Amino acid sequence: MLEIRNLHVELEEGGKPILKGLDLTVEAGRVHAIMGPNGSGKSTLSYVLAGREGYVVTQGSARLDGEDILAMEPEERAAAGLFLAFQYPVEIPGVGNMTFLRTALNAQRKARGEEEISSGDFLRLVREKARALNIDAEMLKRPINVGFSGGEKKRNEILQMAVLEPRMCILDETDSGLDVDAMRLVADGVNALRDAGRAFLVITHYQRLLDHIVPDVVHIMADGRIVRSGGPDLALEVETNGYAGILGAGAAA
Amino acid sequence: MIHLGKRTKSRIVSKGISAGQAQNTYRGLVSMHPKAEHSRNYTQCDSLLIGDRCGAHTVPYIEVRNTTSKVEHEATTSKVNEDQLFYCRSRGMTEEEAVALVVNGFCREVLQVLPMEFMVEAQNLVAISLEGSVG
Repeated sequence: MLEIRNLHVELEEGGKPILKGLDLTVEAGRVHAIMGPNGSGKSTLSYVLAGREGYVVTQGSARLDGEDILAMEPEERAAAGLFLAFQYPVEIPGVGNMTFLRTALNAQRKARGEEEISSGDFLRLVREKARALNIDAEMLKRPINVGFSGGEKKRNEILQMAVLEPRMCILDETDSGLDVDAMRLVADGVNALRDAGRAFLVITHYQRLLDHIVPDVVHIMADGRIVRSGGPDLALEVETNGYAGILGAGAAA
Repeated sequence: MIHLGKRTKSRIVSKGISAGQAQNTYRGLVSMHPKAEHSRNYTQCDSLLIGDRCGAHTVPYIEVRNTTSKVEHEATTSKVNEDQLFYCRSRGMTEEEAVALVVNGFCREVLQVLPMEFMVEAQNLVAISLEGSVG
């Protein structure tokens, strides 16, 4: 589904290289996890895929179902089925959570040539999805992310994911700042969305989240590249030996 | 705003939006006459900037001719920032839809107290005036 080939990316300001020849293939129906120490380029990867400004792709390609996403605007990528759950969801004062969701959903439907969703259907859809994530009606009315707690923000990201139904979901450190209960809710939300036609790329520092969202493949990223890939066991190895242990062993081998 | 009577109260909320090379200025006089004892006014001026070549200015005039009235003024200036726009766009909105959404959020406090028909009209007006103001 997602194919990244030899991706090189540098910062627009200063030209500092961040990604240095990253290769990654995520198949439909699979959950891939990317782990790695601070500054290895994990978040940059998620931003570049979603189309944030400030990065320059100097080499390589990224394709979603064969389509070159790097040439698309962020909203075109969203309509094509790409979704990024933000590490730091953005506050927009005065814009109700529901209004935001509805505008986003209708914009995507319009881009795909579909009809706008009716108010009744939309309300039913959101209520149903919100209940599973323990999001109450009051939180749906509040301005999006304004004054939300860390856990509420992350749950809200998963709600957006559940409503927009993307095919390629990228979660950027969705576990950061979550307590155990909130992490379980988020993980349950993600697991409920797992199906044969949808793929996940879960970016995280810690193995904890992967106890709940069990990945098919784990990649270790360091210095802008994937340096090792393996099964879920690799995440446990990180937990015991730390990144230093794994990276050191990789260099020796 | 002119206060003549005792214990009168007023509130002014001004929302200014500047896009492109626009300069927006708020000037407002609040006058407390000698007999308007124990009166109060609260004035709030919020300005929103779109882009980096526009500006906003707030000039409150206050005249108080008694010793018991209270007049307050608050002013804020904020920018439609790239993070907000990227967040909206990553959810599928075009850049123009994103700006309209953020700007309508900014005006909401004022628009929502208007009668329904006016509110819808005002929202559409905001969207039309913003067309082509980004990028």
